[in-house]
Order: sequence, then structure tokens, then C-alpha cells
Amino acid sequence: MFENLAPKKIDLKEWSRQFRSLDTDFINKFFYYKNNDWGRYLFPPATFMVYGARQLKHLKLDNSLTSLRLWGFSFNESERLFRAKQSGKKVIATMGDLGTVPVIVMAFPGCIPFYPDCTWWTPFFNESNVLLDRASEMGVPEASCFVRSALAAFDKKAYFPKPDLLFASTGASCDDYSCIMQMVGNLGYDIIWLEMPFRRHTAKYFVGDKYKTTNQGLEYPERFEDYLVTEYKKVWAKMVELTEINDLELLRENIKKTNRLRQLVENIKNLTYEVEIAPFPALEMMVIEFGNLYGYADFDEWLDICEMIYETIKERTRKGIGVLKPDAIPIAWVMPTADPIVLNLVEDLGGRVVATEYVINQALAQIEEQGDPFNALARSFLNASLIGSTEERVRRITEKVEQGRVRGVIITNMLGASHCSMETRLIEKMLSKVPVLSLDVPSPLGITEQLKTRIAAFMETLR
Amino acid sequence: MPISFASALISAFYFREMKDILTPRERFGLLVIDEKPDRCNIIPLITSHSAKVKGVKLKDYYTNGEIMARAQIAAIEEYGHDAISIFSEVGIIAEAMGSEFFYPEDDLPVLKNPILTQTNIDNIKIPNPEKEKRLPVYLEAIEYAYQALGDKVPILAYVPAPFTTGMMLSDPNKFLIQTIKEPEYIKKVLEKSSQAAIEFCYHIIDAGGLPILVDPLASSSVISPKTYKEFALPYERAVIDFLHRYDLDVILHICGNTTPILDLLPETDADLISIDQVDLKTVLEKLSKRIRIIGNFDTSKLLFFSKENIANEVKNMVKLGMSAPKGYIASTGCEVPTHAPKENVKAFIKAAKEVGWYWD
Amino acid sequence: MELIGYTCSYIPVEILAATGFRPYRLLHGEVNLSKQGEKLVRVDACPMVKSNLSYIMNNQDKFRALVGSTGCDMSRRMFDVVSEMTEIPVYVINNPRTDRVQIFNDEIDWLVKQLEHLSGKKFSDDLIAQEIEKWENARECLRKIDEKRGTKPSLVLTTDFHKAVANYYQGNITDKIEITEDRSNKPRVYLLGSAITYESNQILKLLEKELRIVGDYNCGLSRFLNIRIGDKTLSGIKDAYYNQPPCIFKRPNDKFFEFIQNEIKKLDCIGIVAWTLDYCDIYEYELQKIETAFNFPVLRIKSDFSFQNLSQLRTRIGAFAEMLCSKT
Repeated sequence: MFENLAPKKIDLKEWSRQFRSLDTDFINKFFYYKNNDWGRYLFPPATFMVYGARQLKHLKLDNSLTSLRLWGFSFNESERLFRAKQSGKKVIATMGDLGTVPVIVMAFPGCIPFYPDCTWWTPFFNESNVLLDRASEMGVPEASCFVRSALAAFDKKAYFPKPDLLFASTGASCDDYSCIMQMVGNLGYDIIWLEMPFRRHTAKYFVGDKYKTTNQGLEYPERFEDYLVTEYKKVWAKMVELTEINDLELLRENIKKTNRLRQLVENIKNLTYEVEIAPFPALEMMVIEFGNLYGYADFDEWLDICEMIYETIKERTRKGIGVLKPDAIPIAWVMPTADPIVLNLVEDLGGRVVATEYVINQALAQIEEQGDPFNALARSFLNASLIGSTEERVRRITEKVEQGRVRGVIITNMLGASHCSMETRLIEKMLSKVPVLSLDVPSPLGITEQLKTRIAAFMETLR
Repeated sequence: MPISFASALISAFYFREMKDILTPRERFGLLVIDEKPDRCNIIPLITSHSAKVKGVKLKDYYTNGEIMARAQIAAIEEYGHDAISIFSEVGIIAEAMGSEFFYPEDDLPVLKNPILTQTNIDNIKIPNPEKEKRLPVYLEAIEYAYQALGDKVPILAYVPAPFTTGMMLSDPNKFLIQTIKEPEYIKKVLEKSSQAAIEFCYHIIDAGGLPILVDPLASSSVISPKTYKEFALPYERAVIDFLHRYDLDVILHICGNTTPILDLLPETDADLISIDQVDLKTVLEKLSKRIRIIGNFDTSKLLFFSKENIANEVKNMVKLGMSAPKGYIASTGCEVPTHAPKENVKAFIKAAKEVGWYWD
Repeated sequence: MELIGYTCSYIPVEILAATGFRPYRLLHGEVNLSKQGEKLVRVDACPMVKSNLSYIMNNQDKFRALVGSTGCDMSRRMFDVVSEMTEIPVYVINNPRTDRVQIFNDEIDWLVKQLEHLSGKKFSDDLIAQEIEKWENARECLRKIDEKRGTKPSLVLTTDFHKAVANYYQGNITDKIEITEDRSNKPRVYLLGSAITYESNQILKLLEKELRIVGDYNCGLSRFLNIRIGDKTLSGIKDAYYNQPPCIFKRPNDKFFEFIQNEIKKLDCIGIVAWTLDYCDIYEYELQKIETAFNFPVLRIKSDFSFQNLSQLRTRIGAFAEMLCSKT
């Protein structure tokens, strides 16, 4: 049935209908941690909706088998983490750096990194203020980043198991994150703090420091690499202590594997964003991008899923078919939206995402495979979105604007989040060759008609 | 009551007691992935009793989805237990397949004219749950409750199992005789009932409910273990297999005496077994390593016992139940009687909360 | 004289002064300035950052350079905006939040090089020693005044002390300081939180109608007095600034709380005033811990500098003072 389906975005009911046509043997073919007993994950959106992901009643998702795999796998993550611990794996929480520390963690067999930060989507998928309310009770200001859900999740112990280690990266970080991580520490969790330096690019009036350039063209003082190497060696030492394994070859191997995924995702993005008809929806593309951080707690399976995604996209591209109309308006998206439904909304109103800046540039960049692996990781991390200037952060979007490849930009913010409040006006100015719409994502169930009207009006402007 | 207000009230209730760290949704979620939550789930079978809590007539309760949901929400506000239970009586699928029921004003529906006394199973269609008789009432109740509280409280929807439905399609005595004299015909009936149950489950899932299979007429109080094994178990299994395609954790509830069939219950592949008139210790010994156990306070005691006696018995039951390695839900053996005094139901829940803690 | 603006207590004023420009701490916070700042950043940015941004934009010709640090995300990013909008040279140093002394020292070395280049002056050992002496003397004078705040009874109003330290922050360390004694046995409180800005004297005045602020850990008040440079060299500067009582943004920040606990005990305080600016993440997130960590009553005051509800605030302060009095 799936082979002959014309691609489109469908709702939960239609997904249930499609799912019914699948053979049970086929459903049982896909499992994580190579465990076909409790490791199955090919379930329809309705499953997760029954268990509380209420927004799935309202979201429209791609109708391919590939998409089913993507969603089943990513929604299953919470259970997967608990199963990891139950089956004797080490579960390692990494916070704040968004993409590099897991590369080290995954080099150790049986160690599963994850980002508690990613619970920021949970209130929205659940259409629930439970976590946000709990964070407020714990003293977190309401006007702050939705990453405050992570604090509540640590407190409740119901979203992931107690980590065996907890790495938290601070320094040139978003202050909301840094404060949340401190509050997690206040709960009694033993945190290993890591320092992220501010990537200070050169200026004509600077002297002295020797500068290097990352593989994405971003300048940094050479010595900053050493600062990061010190931190990564700290991570390595802690992991060695935990696992009693100390083999740098494993790290080199894992860097190669990580690069495979990153290249695959780069190919997926390039294809999806360049072709005439969008072959895959923006919401799925956001999930794909974020998978680079840690593979949603089973890197190998996620890599396999991405390969399937790539095949699907190639196939659709070859056939000249896709999920949006050919005249969908190309837009760039800055800042991932905490509320997934906003992406649906923009597409429903005629938009098409063709460029993104999702604060995870460091997780998209290739890591050098030659030379010292820690230095390679450091150089890769120095591409990070939030540790440098705003201009550097949106440079790739600026290029696309100047090339005429995007007709508008959407920036999604959160009220009170530190870097949003400071960067947004500057980003608007930098990208002002095209219309820019800046939206504050409200808390769950807060999308009003007024907000929808603003988006609709913006899309009309672009048309 | 507006939905948003109900939700806020429930929030206030659940966060009033400092020790209740988790919402019922979170608590249930941990149980079904083999993790110990803060305390054991407490889910007495509060179904038509909720109509009395809300102060609505039973007939309104089981014929109007919004009223059913509001009654359930009122019960949650009153008692603070851990799930909503969408259910009225076991004839609902049979009715949609053609059996006629009589609706008393203030009592549950009663089987009046079983359809198979008038026609053959071959002439009966699988009912469309969105249209036929009171199946849409259930779906409406689930959707309403899910929208109101679904982020905090699991919505359980009780689905009559094929054997129980089969009995309601027929004259029950004749049905039982036919299991001996016309087993193939009965299996046809059960096959169709299975399909009807599956179709109903399919829609329940899309509405946001977690289907629970109830098979009271399959207990050893009604049929022999042999009959259970041949005519009830395989069809329970068929529905459970369907639900397992969705990775849903399936509760199988059989009230009455299930002692003689305890060893067969694992073959249903149910994830949780809800028991009634059976010794809890025996059940724990036989089943609790493989299956989560629910139960099993004698509901008649909710009518006739004092609060103090209820509390003592519940505490002993819960302490025993919590030793179940795979997990335990404190519950009643069967539905809480419609007219059970509220103080007694509260005593049950309070006692269970006092002793049911896993976390320090 | 041209100014060299700076934002953070970890930035050594001695090094800035060695350029020959006047060090000027960016501590502006006023409702009109804040509103002006909303043309450049969003309304939910810190009102002090917005005010400072406006002040810089309105006085561009006064500033020869600006020096910032990564102590606070918003204040670091303020310099991004300044770099985009003006030609003022901007130097932002990494101020490590974790215990990474090497990073700090390297960054100070880097800053020295930049400021030497900017000013055309070599920061010789003698020059450094001179600046240290000058600024240490200034601090010592202010310490004497600060001590009188903490005596029993308290002899100096923080309202007056604030005006005196404003001179220091604005680089006027040669002006004579005269403060009238004001003896008081009002309830002794400790002030911490977001910086008290130049324009916020009225809030101190309001507080001290009913209370006496005998000590503080505040970037706009006495915090800088914890800098004691014994070794009159660049190493001495690095050592003194790095090892000052830690900021609340340090990770982990339990040493901050330990320090405050000791200070409160030393000064015999019976209450705490927690002053936070809207959207000040660094302090707002910690308020609940502040309320429970010290076992003292805490008066929370939140502001965007508009001071719209002054009468309400007066009532709250009065009630707080009464409550403190009833406990003694």
C-alpha cells in the first residue's frame, strides 16, 4: 500500500487507517538496541497520542513508511532510555553544548548519551503545562526558555532514568540553560561542568592572537581549541572511570560514524531544500536535524532511519512529487520552534522551509578524522551557533537571502529567553532584504487566532 | 464545567499533596515500562458510581457521552484516583450488533432481546462505532475526557471481550449449551464479536482511550476452565494481539472467580490482569513475575464495611500487592457499586495512598 | 577625557586606567533609557542592558573603547549590537563560569595587549604598579565608609554610600568623598541581586526609610571592595580579580551562597532584600534558593525601572520592616 501512495501530510486518523494495512511481521522488523522483544518502535501516532502526546491529534505528518519509522522512533525515546538502563547500559545526560559531548560518550560501548534539554518539546507534544507548572513551582521565572521543562523532568524522574553521569556545558551559553543546569545541580545531581568559550572573531583593531578558521569559515583564537580539548579530555577521563575502557581508536571510529550521519543529513537537507517541490515536510526535517545531536539514544538505528529517509526523498525527487505545492513560498527559519504545530501552520498557509538556523550548527559540521580526535572535536564545536556573534550565526541564511533563494524569514522566539531577546532585532536587521516575521511561541495551547492571522498575513506579503 | 477549569482544578488537587510528585499519566507511564513510580497506581473501578458522584441519572450517564465524561471528571475531583474509566455495562457491543436492551431510568441497561434469537450470525454486520447505538457515546466520552484531562490522567475505555459479547448476542443459557452442541457456530459468533471488538478498539484508540478488555462472563463463576480455554481465551488473545500492534499495554479484567484459570491467563498475552474473587497471594505467586496485577478489593465491602475496616483491609492488600515484581495497581475486584458511600470510596483511596509508596 | 566603558566586576579597572582613558562602568538603568533601548533589542531584554545600550548610542563620541565579558549572556550580546551599530572598538573577554584560571589569565593578557595597542602605551610594571596603588587607595577610602555601614549601630546610609561609589565606577577617584553620619538601629538587612544602577538611588532611599542596608553583594555597590591586590603586578591583578568572592553565575555556585551566608552572619543581619531586574536570569532563577538557603526573611523587589507602584512598594517595605522588628 505504501509504495503507491502519493506523498502528502495526513492526520492521525488517516495514519491509523494506513497503519492497519501493515503486516504484523513487518511491524516487528524494526527495533532498537537490536532487541526484538521490547525494542519495537514502529507504531502509529495514535499509540503515542493514547499515552499522552495530545498534539498528535492536530498535527499532520508525512504519510510515508519512512515517516512512520521516524516518528515511532523519536516518540519512543523516553521508554528507550529507561530500557537502556534496565538492560545494563549507561545513560549519560549531556546538557547545553548541543552536539559534541555525545560523540565522546558514544565511543564507549554500552553508553547512551541524551539531551534532557530536548524535553523542551514535551509540553507542546503533550499540550500540557504539567512540566512548565512544576518548573514554576520550583522557582523558574515564567518568562524564560521552555528548556525549563528539563528541570521539572529531573525532579519528576518520569521522563528519563537517573543518569549515570551528567555533563553540563556552560560559559558562552544561553543563560536560561546555565541557570536550569545549576538548578538541576541544586536537586542533588552530581554535575560535571564544562566550559564553552566565547568564539571571539577577529577585528581590524585586534592584535596578538593567532586566529584559525573552522571548516565552516568561522574565525577563532587558536588557543580556544586547547581550552576545549581540556574539557573533552575531562569528559573522556570520566567515561574511562565509569566504563574502565580507554581506547582512542573507538573515539576515532565514532567520529567517522558521526560524520556519516552528519553528511547524510546534509545531503537530505540539500536535496529537500533545493528541489522544486518539497519532498518532505518541515516538521520531519526539524526532527532529522536534531537527530544529529545524539541519534535519539540509539545512534545506529537512527542512522539506518536517515538512510531510509534519504532514499525516500531521492525517490520523490526523481518522480518530481512532494508534500507541498510547487508554488510554496521559500522561507528561512531561525530558531527551532518549541511548538511543532507552528511548522504545520506555516506550510498549511503556503510556506516552505528551505533554510534553517536551529542553534545547532555545531552538530551539523563535519569533524576532522585525521589528527588528534580531541582537537578535531574542539574545532568542530567551535562552529557552534550560540557561542559567537549573531552575524556569524545567521551568515548562511544571509547568503541565501542575498542569492534570492528565500523570500522571507521567520524567527520563533520565547518571551524572556536571554539570547532571543538580544539577538532577534539584530537578526531582523541583518536579514532585512526580505520580509521578516518574528513570532513569540506561546506556551502549550496558546496559539491564538491572532497569531494565525499574523502568519497568514505574512505569507500573503510574500506571495 | 468548562474544560479548562476542570483541568485547573485537577492540577490543584494533584499538587496539593506534597508527596504526589507525579501525575497519574506519568505514574501509569512508568508502570508500563517496568519502572517503579512514586507510589502505586490507585484505580478502583469507578464507572457508573461516577454518575452518583456527579448527581446525574444513570440513564443520562450511559446515553450521553459528555455527561459520562463529566461524571468521570467529577469522580476524579472527588477522589483523586489515577484514571478515568469510560464504561457503563458489557452489552454495548452486543447492542450495536443488534441485541435490544431495556434502559431503566436509574439503573444500567438490561438485555431484553438478544439478536441471535431472531437471526443468524451470518446476517449480522460489524457495527460502525461512529454510528451504531451507544458506541458513539463512548467515543464522545473518551474525546471529551481526553481533551479535559488527557495530559494528566490516562483515559481507560472498557471494551467487552468477544465471549461476553457473544453471551449478550444470545440467550446466555442457550449460548453455553451451544458451546457443547454447536461449537463451530459459537466460534463464528465469537469471531464476529472479535472483529466488532477490534473495530471498536480501533476507534477508541483514535479518540485517545486505552482499551481495556472486560470479560466477566468468562470467569470460572460462569464457565469451566475448559470452556474458557476453547471459547474465551483465543478471542481475548485476538483482540490483545491487535492492541499489541500498537504497543498498547492491555489490561484484561475478569471479575468473579478466576482461580481455576490462573495458569491460563498468561496465554492471553495481556500485560496487566485485573482480578476479583481470587486470593491475591496466590495470584502473586503464580503470575506477578510475568504480568502486572490489578485488584482486588471486594466491592461489596464498600457498601457494608466501615471506613476503618476498609482502610485496614486496603492497607494490607496494597502492602501485599506492592511486592509484585512486575508491578501492581491497587483496585477493586469489580466495579465500585453505584450507591457506595463516598466516604468509603475515599477511605479506600486514602488508605492506598498512605501505604503505597515506592519512593522515599 | 575619553572613556573606556566596561560592564563586569571581573574586568580589572587598573588595566583600563593604564590606557590613560577614564574607566567608566556601564551601570545605567532608567526607564527612558530602557525604552530607547527597545529600538535595538526586544522589550524582554534586561532593562539595565537596554539602558546601557541607549547610553552608549547617545554618547558614542565619549567612548574610546568598550570592554565586556561573558559573565552574563545579555550583556555579552549587548556588544554584538554595539559592534553592528557603532564604530567603537569592542573587546569582550571570556570570563569562565567554571574554575578555569588559565582561561581568565590568558584573556587578561590578551586584553592588556589590545589596550596597549589601542592606547599606544606599553603597560610597564611601573605603570601597572601605579594604577594598582591608585585604585587600591580609592578602594581603601571607600572600605572605611563601607565599614561604617556595618557597625552597630550603623553609621552610614547605603543611599549615601551609593553616591560615593558611583564616583568610583565612573572613574572619578580623585574627588573627595564626604558622607554625613546617619546613625540607625533600624532592622539590619543585606542587599543582593541585580546591579543597583546610577539612577536607582531612589529605591535605596525608599528601603532605608524603614530598614538599614548594612551590607551588600551588588555590582553597583560594594562588591568591588572585595578586590585587594597585594602583589602590585599584573599577576597580582589577575589573582585578585579571579579569586574575588564568586559571582552567582559561577558554576557550581555554592561558594557564592557560602560567601553570602558568612557575610550576613558577620554583619548581624536579620533580613535580606533581593532586588532583581525583569528578565535578569542570573538572579531570578536563584530567588527561591535565596529564600530558603539563608534562613532569613527575604523581601523580593522586581523592577524595570519604571517604579510605577511606589506606594505599593512602600507598603511592602513597611510590612517587611515590621515583621523583622517583631522577630527581634
